[in-house]
Amino acid sequence: MSKIGQAISEIQTLENISREDRWVNRLHPLGKLVLTVFYITVTVSFPKYELAGLAGMLLYPLAVFTVADLSFGDALRRLRVVLPLVMIMGILNPFFDREILLTIGRVPISGGVISMLTLMVKAVLTVLAGYLLIATTPMDEICRAMRVIHIPKIFVIVVLLIYRYVTVFLSEARRITQAYELRAPKQRGVHYKVWGSLLGQMLLRSMDRANDIYESMQLRGFDGNFRLGKKAALRPADFLWPVLWALVILALRLFPVVELIGRIFV
Amino acid sequence: MSHIHLDVEKLNFSYESGTPVISDLTFHASEHEAVGIIGANGAGKSTFLKLLLGLNLNFTGSIRVEEIPLEKKTLPQIREKIGYVFQDSDSQLFMTTVGEDVAFAPRNYGLPEEEVERRVLAALEKVHISHLRDKSIFKLSGGEKKLASLATILSTSPDMIFLDEPSVALDPKNRRNLIHVLNEFEHLKLIASHDLDFIWDTCSRVVLLSQGQIAADGTPEQILTNQALLEENGLELPLSLTVRENRTPG
Repeated sequence: MSKIGQAISEIQTLENISREDRWVNRLHPLGKLVLTVFYITVTVSFPKYELAGLAGMLLYPLAVFTVADLSFGDALRRLRVVLPLVMIMGILNPFFDREILLTIGRVPISGGVISMLTLMVKAVLTVLAGYLLIATTPMDEICRAMRVIHIPKIFVIVVLLIYRYVTVFLSEARRITQAYELRAPKQRGVHYKVWGSLLGQMLLRSMDRANDIYESMQLRGFDGNFRLGKKAALRPADFLWPVLWALVILALRLFPVVELIGRIFV
Repeated sequence: MSHIHLDVEKLNFSYESGTPVISDLTFHASEHEAVGIIGANGAGKSTFLKLLLGLNLNFTGSIRVEEIPLEKKTLPQIREKIGYVFQDSDSQLFMTTVGEDVAFAPRNYGLPEEEVERRVLAALEKVHISHLRDKSIFKLSGGEKKLASLATILSTSPDMIFLDEPSVALDPKNRRNLIHVLNEFEHLKLIASHDLDFIWDTCSRVVLLSQGQIAADGTPEQILTNQALLEENGLELPLSLTVRENRTPG
């Protein structure tokens, strides 16, 4: 399968995983969305040298991976493009902050190294939290929850349409590159001389398709408001799950839980 | 006269290049009619359907849907009465699951959620795909996508349905299924297609378009068996009739 085909397949797989019949998936999207935003906010709020405290925040993704029966390896594979980018953040810190804060054995560790690692861990944890939300909640449910908490409708529509448009664009890209490869069998990749025309064709075709989709929406009464219907009423579990986790996350942020646990064993 | 009717008078339309696509076209259709719009490539079939839906309003002449003149301010009213199935189902389906897509239009028309639910179930039942309700759009086969597209418009209980090349890319079983489903729909149908066998199986009237004008209008027997007329307009006899002719002894 081509790389573009793989990308389309990944989106489809993730969509299917989010629709699987597991209790985490069945939880009300509002609780999961609010919890994810809360988790990300708390994670980002850790001070730059609080690497130990931040380690405790791993608890939430690990728990969700376990109860949702998701593969951590698959998640890392799916996020392989994003993770290196987010990990670049803070890469220059060791050059600016050279004050030695601790030594491990005989190796001195500067504040810059710790703050770099803290930033990287924060980035990975926030990306993982987003991934877990998408893997346990279908996109339309997430958008429905966004509207419930009064996120502007234009933003929600843009999210939904981009989600749809990505697959349209990738499908067009796959078709056009397949057509190219079939007529250039001895060539590796696409020759740079045709990049321009290929990209132009791809954009024109996907614009055509996007226009068709928009016409289809218009013909079915779309007036700028995405109406996603009503989700079933909140059940006790819909409250319990986010509230309990919010308390755990808050405790991890306010108290040196990891340090205390460490002292028990040392 | 029945309340479901479509009246087109002296319709003219051309794209920006100035080449006329539809020329002085007058057409009337009413309830229970299944009209096949046939013609060679570029005859104006798809453009004609899109004009009737108000997807392009730069035309001259008049289009009236159940006495309502087609203009910008009447578009919502008119579109509620018409269901349009695109040639490419991927352009039609944009929500994440079949059920959500079928519910899209009724929700937009402000129906209460209980009624939306009822209509979704009824539409899926009508095209025999109730089992696909929670299935992701990504995972549908070509035939399933076509039936799902049809369900998305049936959920609004339209007075008339327009279909653009509905049989394209369907295998014989799905094609037969679609014919069966379409023949069950009792209101006005307009089907633009090159597939003359499909038109033969689904339509009670055939309109032959040529260079944006009506070259012939009659029953399938009058139009689809007229080899000279069809060939003159870039078409051929339906395959089923050709086979039958070839098998006739002597």
